[in-house]
Amino acid sequence: MPPPTGPLIALVDDETSLRETVAFALGREGYRVVQFADGLAAWRSFEQTLPDLAVLDILMPEMDGLELCRRLRSLSERLPILFLTSRDEELDRVLGLELGADDYLCKPFSMRELAARVKVLLRRAKMRAEPEAGGAGRRLERGRLRLDLDRYQAVLAEVPIALTVTEFTLLHALVLHPGHVKTRAQLIAAAYPNDAYVSDRTIDSHVKRLRRKLTGADPSFTPIETVYGLGYRWGGAE
Amino acid sequence: MRLFSRLSLRLLAFNLLLVFLPVAGLLYLDVYERRLLAAQERGMVQQGRVLAGALGGGSAIDPAAAAALLDRLDRRVEARLRVVDARGALLADSSRAAAPAAAALRAVPDRKGGRPRSARSTRDSLLYRFGAALYRLWERRFVPLPPGREADSYYRTGRPLLGPEVRAALEGRYGAATRPSGAGQRGVTLYSAVPVRDAQGKVAGAILVSQSTLRLRAALAGVRLGIFRVFLWSLLAAAVLSFLVAATLTRPLQRLADEARALTDRRGRLLGSFRGSARRDEIGDLARALEELTGRLARHLGFIESFAADVSHEFKNPLAAIRGATELLAEVEDPADRARFAALCLREVARMELLLAGLREITGIDAHLPAEPARTVDLKALVAELVEGLRVRAGGEGPRIVLAGQDGPLLVRASPERLAQLLDNVLDNARSFSPPGGTVTVELAPAGNGARIRVDDQGPGVAAAHRERIFDRFFSHRPGDQKGQHAGLGLAIARAITEGYGGTIRAGDSPGGGARFEIWLPA
Repeated sequence: MPPPTGPLIALVDDETSLRETVAFALGREGYRVVQFADGLAAWRSFEQTLPDLAVLDILMPEMDGLELCRRLRSLSERLPILFLTSRDEELDRVLGLELGADDYLCKPFSMRELAARVKVLLRRAKMRAEPEAGGAGRRLERGRLRLDLDRYQAVLAEVPIALTVTEFTLLHALVLHPGHVKTRAQLIAAAYPNDAYVSDRTIDSHVKRLRRKLTGADPSFTPIETVYGLGYRWGGAE
Repeated sequence: MRLFSRLSLRLLAFNLLLVFLPVAGLLYLDVYERRLLAAQERGMVQQGRVLAGALGGGSAIDPAAAAALLDRLDRRVEARLRVVDARGALLADSSRAAAPAAAALRAVPDRKGGRPRSARSTRDSLLYRFGAALYRLWERRFVPLPPGREADSYYRTGRPLLGPEVRAALEGRYGAATRPSGAGQRGVTLYSAVPVRDAQGKVAGAILVSQSTLRLRAALAGVRLGIFRVFLWSLLAAAVLSFLVAATLTRPLQRLADEARALTDRRGRLLGSFRGSARRDEIGDLARALEELTGRLARHLGFIESFAADVSHEFKNPLAAIRGATELLAEVEDPADRARFAALCLREVARMELLLAGLREITGIDAHLPAEPARTVDLKALVAELVEGLRVRAGGEGPRIVLAGQDGPLLVRASPERLAQLLDNVLDNARSFSPPGGTVTVELAPAGNGARIRVDDQGPGVAAAHRERIFDRFFSHRPGDQKGQHAGLGLAIARAITEGYGGTIRAGDSPGGGARFEIWLPA
């Protein structure tokens, strides 16, 4: 294996075994990985050097992942942050606007899935950093909603909506074929191409969050329809 | 809410029962009336006998003498006196000269002067008629009319006076009858007939004494009306009282019931709590007791929910590591890496087993400790033995353990195994946080009605914010690389045992720096 030279990823988790596994998996993908066992140690290092992406656990001694995320956001708005969570009820806080995390994975997760997410997040960050390089890129428009498939960005009536990678891919899968019912299994395959262990309930809570974010941008915008017994459908008439 | 709850109705029923006491008085009036009537009859018979004595003794009754006698008696007796001969023909009548017979029935002159309270006015009052209608309704329903109470056609003026009582008197017996006054009168007249005997002792005629009971009954009617009026007022008072009681007693109860129904959903989840009450009475007590109950229930449900969440959370970390490692095992070729990830899996599996064992232990303590046999244990001897065992096991490594305290036994009541488990966990915690070459001091002393155990270490101490939480299950504030050996359950087990015996355990600062754990156990 060649010595990694790629983007620098900070991995903050107090679980030694998990850290060891994740660091190895990311290293295999060519990333440089710097590990921290608690939030405080990570914060001291981040004050000196910012990584290209941060993978944070939530429950940690000294300083938890939520506090670390808040502090990181004060240093950089653009640094991609991916959370590893083991408690479902924490997700809303993590992904809320107050913290502004970019994506998350629920433990236990697949290493391939993690690597795929990291890749998407880094690409999205890079695309954002480059001011409209090479024109419009691949786009998908449905009425007032515009999806930028390279930047993983959704814009509703010129207002950008902050979506996680998972939410964006779900939205994309639904928007692609308006009126067609997407089963939960199809949505799982779209949002988690590398993970075979995602439950239907996970998709439901993602759709719930996605709906909330869409109505948050425009309260009258409710294009995702539930088809009981089957799945979901993009019913946007526009 | 129903306007009248069952409780309100019951209260109303009790109140009405009290109200009906005057009605019982009303019934007693009937007995009273019968006695008065009997007295009246006796008086009449007396008058008849006196008159019979005065007129008798001759060969036949002299009508003129009888009329003269009655004339003289007129207005001195209340009763109407009539003298009939042996065939029942009227010889003299006390009321013939004075007033028509009907007048005597209408208004009886009052001895004390002035008119009596008019029978009509009492009986015509709306209230009386209402009460009488009710009474008649009752009477018609339950009391059969006695036969033979038809109008007294016997005694119409000018016809032979041959009523049954006169016939009895003419046959030498005493006769009496009561019958309606007739001619549309509602009064009842009492008739008594006594025989008049001639010198030979043969019946020469009879004296018919009749007196309307109207006067008597008018007085009673007044009393009845009074009682009926009291009854109606009491009825009103009872209704008002019951309503008040309902407002102050049953409404709060109804409110509690409504709250209780709204408290849980169909799946039995608690949705809220009782609002409590500022009332100082029993209903207030009930409300507060229910509030406490729901509080305890909510805490217990919260405990169960958080227990499930904690367990699932604690298992996700090792599971994540195992999943990642097995994925990598399938992909990496390097034997050194493969061995490393296989070992990692084993380590995490061992950790999950440790977690399971700890959980079993805690739930076991909660469930079984109260039933375990407890005996009086010398804490001092037990701790000495335990510390010695730890020294041997440590084999010279780790912190020194020093035992302090006065001589003499220190007795507590517990299971020695559980005590050893408790101390083992607390000492293990102290040892693991001790710096190399540090000292852990165990001090025993009597305190209150029991024993106090102090364990001081020289480690980093416990942050004030964590002093309660370190006893929570899975709360662990140690460096990550130690997590494999410590599931975060040791102090939770210690607390479960201590509290199971009714003792207390708390964390604080040791005077020499480091942490101090203080356990108190009852004797």
